[in-house]
Amino acid sequence: MPKQSPVPDALDKPYFDALNEDRLVIQNWTCCQRLQHPPAATCGGCGSNQLQHMSWKQVSGNGTIYSYGVVYDSPIAVLQADQPYNVALIELEEDPGVKMLSHLPGRAVDDVPIGAKVKVIFETTPATGQKVPEWQVVS
Amino acid sequence: MPQTPMPPMSMFRTAVHPGLWEHKGKVAAVGVGHEGTARRWDGTAENCIGAWSIAACRKAIADAGVNPADVDGIVLDTSTTTGAHWPAGREIPMDVVQKFNQTDDPLDGIAQLSGEWMVKNMPELTNVKYIMTGPGCMSACIVVAAQAIGDGLAHTCLVLKSWHNLDGRYYQGGANAEPTISGNAKWTNPWAGPASLGTATQFQRYMYKYGKSHDMMAPFMQNSRHNGLMFPEGYWAQHRPEELPAEDYINARWVAKPANLFDNDIPIMASAAYLFTTAERARDMKQKPVYILNHARDNLVARGFGGFPTLEECEEACANVGVRLHEGAGIKPDDLSFENMYDGFSLFHVFHLEGLRTHGIGLGDALDAFQGDISISSPFPISPSGGNIGSGRTRFWKHTDCIQQIQGRAGARQISVPANIGVSGGPMPTGGNFTVWGSSPD
Amino acid sequence: MYTERTRGLIWPRTPLHADAGSHSEGFTLELPGGKFLISFDIDGTLELGDPPGRITTEMVQRARDLGFLIGSCSDRSATSQRAIWERMNIEADFIALKHMLDDVKTRFDVHRYLHIGDRDLDQMFAEQAGFDFLWEHEAYTEPWLDWLEGNGAVPASEQ
Ligand SMILES: [Zn+2]
Repeated sequence: MPKQSPVPDALDKPYFDALNEDRLVIQNWTCCQRLQHPPAATCGGCGSNQLQHMSWKQVSGNGTIYSYGVVYDSPIAVLQADQPYNVALIELEEDPGVKMLSHLPGRAVDDVPIGAKVKVIFETTPATGQKVPEWQVVS
Repeated sequence: MPQTPMPPMSMFRTAVHPGLWEHKGKVAAVGVGHEGTARRWDGTAENCIGAWSIAACRKAIADAGVNPADVDGIVLDTSTTTGAHWPAGREIPMDVVQKFNQTDDPLDGIAQLSGEWMVKNMPELTNVKYIMTGPGCMSACIVVAAQAIGDGLAHTCLVLKSWHNLDGRYYQGGANAEPTISGNAKWTNPWAGPASLGTATQFQRYMYKYGKSHDMMAPFMQNSRHNGLMFPEGYWAQHRPEELPAEDYINARWVAKPANLFDNDIPIMASAAYLFTTAERARDMKQKPVYILNHARDNLVARGFGGFPTLEECEEACANVGVRLHEGAGIKPDDLSFENMYDGFSLFHVFHLEGLRTHGIGLGDALDAFQGDISISSPFPISPSGGNIGSGRTRFWKHTDCIQQIQGRAGARQISVPANIGVSGGPMPTGGNFTVWGSSPD
Repeated sequence: MYTERTRGLIWPRTPLHADAGSHSEGFTLELPGGKFLISFDIDGTLELGDPPGRITTEMVQRARDLGFLIGSCSDRSATSQRAIWERMNIEADFIALKHMLDDVKTRFDVHRYLHIGDRDLDQMFAEQAGFDFLWEHEAYTEPWLDWLEGNGAVPASEQ
């Protein structure tokens, strides 16, 4: 489903670069052994901004559907043509506290099994070619 | 806009077990003033948000029966937007601006509101020394004013929240129309949608976890509108006196399923002001004092996206607020005579209500409770104000109702049981502000 | 208790055949000018809306008198829309929720469908349902009256 292309900045460039190589990496704060998404300039656990505590950890790309909604009235122009569409919250296998959004490509509208296993895929966004993570239900 | 100071975070009670509020029963709400409502601004000076704010304050002062010269404090939210910002390039109507004493920002009094503008345009307020922001919501204004009076920073304080809404079409422009996205929105915009989507995912999880359905909200929605129609100051009572039967609610189009059009409250223009004072001074005023027994807040930071706390995070924050409210007021959960927790988006109400753990309503119980009697004549009235659902998006009906119920001035909305202790607050489970009100200071 | 199927909620004046499809035999239009259908949004469009629009009750009545099929399509509830038609003292041919314009099209087989509104959403739903769309500020001059003269030609594909 066509979506806006996210524009990387200095902080999150490693995340977006990895996506373009079909790898999912998550910001990892070693001070607290804490995965964090979206990435931020400080550790959400202890507030550290020491870069030696920050790394990027490649994850399996396995996840579970936590919940979802179905969007009928989006303010985002590029998504309107595909309304209604699913938006699911995916929790990562490595840390269910880390959530990512997904349109669940291939899944019928409002047919979303909460608790089902999903696997990451990498979708190219039209404007810049930047890839973003998407998730598909594992049958 | 001229700077109106921001309150220090120390004014908010966020500790896990904060103990009895040090000013319990020493601060009272006495006067109430409302102005409006309208769907959108008509462009006239008499109906601009500044004019309505002045009118609401004057009504609150008169209602309390105080001399304006005795008012020494004003706490207000400087932001008045319902979401409609003054469009870039749109001409500012200087004929309207010039009808008032201006500050250095011509939008002051039209699309925002500084403390300076209010004082400049209410010349009868000759002794205001304490001017402070209550960020984002009447719920915050109330906490700041109550704490300020308790702390001795003011003794007679106006508490003001106003909302403007502009005419014109709802253009979906700006960043939402672009093919690329930068900043924080890059994490959500490629997937997400309307503001209610976050709450929709929480409610979806709730239904999954507890085996409930969206249709079970209908009696609450019907009750809220019904109560709102008995709120003469409210939008629906004034402009569209229509009940909301269950089938009308259930048939409405989805915005972000499971949040439909009615779960999203209607943006309006309105202004409300209260007059707060010390319990001592309140004794000599015109209306019965309503004592503030406590206030509380939870600052839980969602692990994931700002707009997407999980259901469990909401439940934790609401439970924290409940415990804090009861403990700090020195009451038991079942001492509450009624509740006016936040309801815009309406689905929030379920989480807030369950957090209070009152009258047998625990986790997963609210929707079942809605199927019983929740009306103003029930033993525990649910949202007798009708909230945002019953009167439009202002987030202040619930507070006005707590004051009026306890004063015995709620008119047709007056609850059948004695209105001894009420609770109100919002908006969000995380970072919202909540107040316990009592008929007695003890 | 309520299913997706009932979400449409539409209130036609003409009784429909039990299983009325788009060309149901039980449902024929015999109004003299019943070739055109106009759907009015309410708030920001009709003068009785909140905020009021520029389409007056008189214009709506005139359209009906000339044989247009008329009705409302709004985010207001059915209860609320009925109240508006009662206040206008005009009998509507249909009442529909804003997202149900496609249902209106299915139920009424005419040459041309028009929706009038004041918001992007009106335009979006109109386009999705295959309706012509006029903004409120384009509509208060009653351009549909020209249709009766054969001006504002009906697209050949629909004749
Ligand atoms: Zn850390």
